[in-house]
Amino acid sequence: MRLLNITAFFFALTSALLLYALNYETRRLEAEVQDKERIADDARSDIAVLKAERGTLARPDRIDGLARRLGLGPPKTEQFEQGREVSELDARSKNANGR
Amino acid sequence: MTGAQGNVRTMDRSAGRLSERAVYAVLFAAFAGVTAQLLVLAIPRRADVTLAISEPIAATSFSRPDIVDRNGRLLATDLEAPSIFADAGLVLDRDEVVEKLLTVLPDLNGDQLLRDLSDKNRRFIWVRRGVSPGVAQKVHDLGLPGISFRYELKRAYPGGKLAGHLLGYTDVDNRGVKGIERYIDEKVGVDPVHSAVLSSRPPVRLSIDIGVQHALEDELDDGARRYKSEGAAGIVLNIKTGEVLASASLPRVDPAWPLLTLDDKHADRISGGTYELGSVFKTLTLAMAFDEGLAKPDTLLDVREPLEAGRFTVKDFHPSNRPLTVTEVYTHSSNVGAAMLGLEAGPEKLATFLKKVGVTEQMTTEAGPLATPQLPPRWNRVSTITASFGHGIAVAPLQFAAAAATILNNGKTVRPTFLRKFDAGAADGKAVVTPDTSRLMATLMRLNVVNKDGTGGKADVPGYRVGGKTGTADVAAKGGYTSNSVITSFLATFPTDDPQYLTFVILFEPKALEGARGYRTAGLNAAPVTGELIARIAAQLGVAPQTVTATQ
Repeated sequence: MRLLNITAFFFALTSALLLYALNYETRRLEAEVQDKERIADDARSDIAVLKAERGTLARPDRIDGLARRLGLGPPKTEQFEQGREVSELDARSKNANGR
Repeated sequence: MTGAQGNVRTMDRSAGRLSERAVYAVLFAAFAGVTAQLLVLAIPRRADVTLAISEPIAATSFSRPDIVDRNGRLLATDLEAPSIFADAGLVLDRDEVVEKLLTVLPDLNGDQLLRDLSDKNRRFIWVRRGVSPGVAQKVHDLGLPGISFRYELKRAYPGGKLAGHLLGYTDVDNRGVKGIERYIDEKVGVDPVHSAVLSSRPPVRLSIDIGVQHALEDELDDGARRYKSEGAAGIVLNIKTGEVLASASLPRVDPAWPLLTLDDKHADRISGGTYELGSVFKTLTLAMAFDEGLAKPDTLLDVREPLEAGRFTVKDFHPSNRPLTVTEVYTHSSNVGAAMLGLEAGPEKLATFLKKVGVTEQMTTEAGPLATPQLPPRWNRVSTITASFGHGIAVAPLQFAAAAATILNNGKTVRPTFLRKFDAGAADGKAVVTPDTSRLMATLMRLNVVNKDGTGGKADVPGYRVGGKTGTADVAAKGGYTSNSVITSFLATFPTDDPQYLTFVILFEPKALEGARGYRTAGLNAAPVTGELIARIAAQLGVAPQTVTATQ
């Protein structure tokens, strides 16, 4: 009977310590998760800004002006030899989501 | 004695048991009470209670999915932007606060802010929402107590004014008000947020191709400048799927600054207004005549005499001195000839046909309802004559383009859409005209461009097999038509051996070029603009040019 009591006592003590440690570990992990989430949020908002910037830089009226300054222009009929050079954007556009 | 003692003891015991019971009862009642309370709290009846407690000053805004074009290129996105607010309870000297804020934000309503700040109980007053980081920094540097910032979402349009009419705009809470933005609120869904949380929804993919859209806007710009027109509008439509590849109306609007352009001049002329389109309507009249078996391309019509229609007379722009075939009625754009075909069918058949191709009932797209078509009040002889060549009936250009596309699509109804379709080419409904009529109309449109005496010669682009029809309509004014302003338009399709795309270009009140002897008919302005446009977009749309030797 006494042995049982002592065992139970130590068991309770150990589990209390374990619980204590676990509690701390959990809080640490929680802080870590929050930290990571903040970094992810920052990255997400950076991506949004960069995406918008890329959109602004790649907008067709800007490219148009730059291309014309380089002496380029809309394609002429003679420039298509086999008809294979026409746009195939549609075929590979399914994976681009604003990027 | 002992009996008495025993009695007392039993009484004691029973009294003790009674108080014991009372304690238990009280405890039980307390537990029951707590349990009940917990249960009440546990039922999530009012989710907003917790939010209201944790964030008493939160102002809700909305996070929206991005808008991309058919190839995934960005048209609209959410960005985090600082907003400035004031806490009246913390403001020490409100005069100083307002005065200093005015140095950075000169267009601020100072008096209103002073009044708002005078109430010390107001803990949250918006000063300015969605400012640039630079302005926020300047306000921050003023070091005013009671002035704080919070990050909110603000809609950004990287393309600037590109497709501005179609995109619509959002309000200060980032809620869609018009155009596709409104469609997103109503059909796609937006998420209410309390801080700057970007949307995790997949982007909304439009049918627009920004390359084609830019080419269209650019060519319309050029055209409007060259012919000094008041405005211009254009559509590029995929005939097989109904996808709108570009839709533009000049002058443009900037979705980021919608309030600057709320006047009539900036209205979307493609879907927001109805116009009498003139001779392009003959495309529908002839399609009806062919489909009803009333005429063949070589049927002769005597168009030498003007046609009496009520109180006015229908004449041709270039009267012919010989009878014309139906083909020539189309290529010479003879009003008398079209009117004769309309009369031969009669008011009822014409009205039924126009209904069948969908120009008589209000049309709705994702960007909202189109302007309601204006029909003649009664279908009689006069309205039949005028409608045959596109007068006395006014429709939105997009609606007319859809009807013309339906005829060219082997008669299968084309419903214009602004969203990318992935199951392209899915035919639905029964054909409203026969495939023969459809082919015949494509041929006629081609003839109108290649024939020496056709009106659409200036729209031809070698290799792309362009076909088209001109339209020059007098502008309707109070009490009749003004002869000094016109709306010119050009309906085109390419390649005509299997029509894939349709373009419709409209110039509002163009002026005659020098050397054109005062002529400003569509063949001289809308047609060349269409030619330039098709030369530019055909390859982008995947239509390969055929060299002359290959086609003939």
